[in-house]
Amino acid sequence: MSVLTGKKKSNIIKDWRQQPKSIEKFQFIHHFLPHPEEKTRATLLSNRAIIVYCAAMLLIAGIFRFLPKVVPGVLGYASDISVKDLLTYTNAKRKESGLSELRLNSALTSAAYQKAEDMFKDQYWAHISPDGTEPWDFILGQNYDYIYAGENLAKNFKSSKDVVEAWMKSPSHKENLLSSNYDEIGFAVVNGVMEGYETTLVVQFFGRPRNAAQVASVYEEQTVLEKESTRTAAVSEREKEPATEGTSEAVQKPVYTQAPSEKPAIDVTTATKTVSAVFGGFVGTLLALDVWYSRRKGLHKFTGHTVAHLGILILVVASIWFVLAPGIVL
Amino acid sequence: MKEKSDLHIVEYSVLLTLAFIISLLFYYFRYNHGVLIFLSGVSSFAYILWGLIHHALEGRLTKFIAAEYVVFGVLIFLLLYTVLNF
Repeated sequence: MSVLTGKKKSNIIKDWRQQPKSIEKFQFIHHFLPHPEEKTRATLLSNRAIIVYCAAMLLIAGIFRFLPKVVPGVLGYASDISVKDLLTYTNAKRKESGLSELRLNSALTSAAYQKAEDMFKDQYWAHISPDGTEPWDFILGQNYDYIYAGENLAKNFKSSKDVVEAWMKSPSHKENLLSSNYDEIGFAVVNGVMEGYETTLVVQFFGRPRNAAQVASVYEEQTVLEKESTRTAAVSEREKEPATEGTSEAVQKPVYTQAPSEKPAIDVTTATKTVSAVFGGFVGTLLALDVWYSRRKGLHKFTGHTVAHLGILILVVASIWFVLAPGIVL
Repeated sequence: MKEKSDLHIVEYSVLLTLAFIISLLFYYFRYNHGVLIFLSGVSSFAYILWGLIHHALEGRLTKFIAAEYVVFGVLIFLLLYTVLNF
C-alpha cells in the first residue's frame, strides 16, 4: 500500500486543476451544485433536464387519464359531503343575504336522486340528458307541481362547504341559491363511477309549489333528513359486510350508491398535487442550493436569474397545495 | 452602476406585482378550473416575457438564456395543469 507524500499529492491536485473539464465529468456533486469552471447550473437544472421533467409530468398526467379507462374506479375523488351540511350551508348563505330559509322537500329530494342516478347510468354530466330529458321532467315525475324550479349540479368536491362556496362563486348558480322565487329544496349526494373515475355527484333542485299550502313543514323536513341518515347508514353497513361469493351482490357491483362510499384506491387530487409538489419541490431545492453555493463561492454564471425562478416556483407550489381545490359545478 | 441597480429594482417590482395580481386572481377563481388553466397559461407566458425583456435590457440575452426562460415557463404551466386537468 503506497502512501502519497505531501509533494506528490499537491502535484496530482495541480494536474487535476489543469484539466478541470475532464475531472468535472466524474464529479457527481455537480449534478446538484453549479459547475464553477463552466459557470453553469447543476446538471439536473440544465435546460435538457427541465425538458425531461416536463415530459415526465406529461407522461404521468397521461397515465392518470388512461388508467380509469383500463381499470375503472381505481382513481377517484374522496369526499365527505352530506345533505344535512349542504342544507345548512345553503340556508346560511340565504340568511346572510336576508332571504328566507329553504325547506327540504321529499319530492324534490327524490327527483334529485333520480337525476343523479340517471347521470351515472347513462354516463353524462349535463342539465339535459343525452335522450333529451330535462331537469323539470324529474321534478314533474315526482308529482311536484311548481311555479318556479331550478337545478345546480356539482361533482368531484371534497366537502359540502366547498360545494356551496363553488356555487356562490359562479353567477348563474348563485342566482339560483339566492333567489327569492324558491321556497323548497331537494338534494342528492350519490357516489359512483363516472368516465372511469370514482366520484360523488351532487344534485340540488329548487322549487316553489303552485299551491303555497304544499310547502314542506318542519316535520316533513325532519322526516327527509332522518330518511337520509338511515339510507347513508344502511349503505355504510352494506359496504362493511363482505359480499358472499356466488350471490348476485358479489357478481353485480352497483354503478352508484348513496353516500358514503368506499374511498377510491388512489385519490386523484392528492396524487396530482403530490406529483406537482415533488417535481416543483425537487427543482426548487436545486435552485435554492444553486443560490447558496454560488453566493458562497462568489460564482457568476451565464444563466437566467435563479432567485426569480425560485420565487415563482415557490409561489406555484404553494398555490397548488393551498389554493387549488377539486370540483366542477354545472 | 446605480442606474443599473435602479432598473433591476423596477424590473423585479414589475415581476412581484404580476405575481401578486395573478395570486389574487387564482384565489378568486379557485373553483373555476377553466379560468385557472387560462390564468396558468397567461402566468407562464408573462414570466417568459419578463425574463426575455429583463435580460434584453441588461444586454445579456442569449439563445441559451431565452431557452431557459421558455423551459421554466413550460414547467410552471405543467405543474399547474397537471392538478387542474383533473
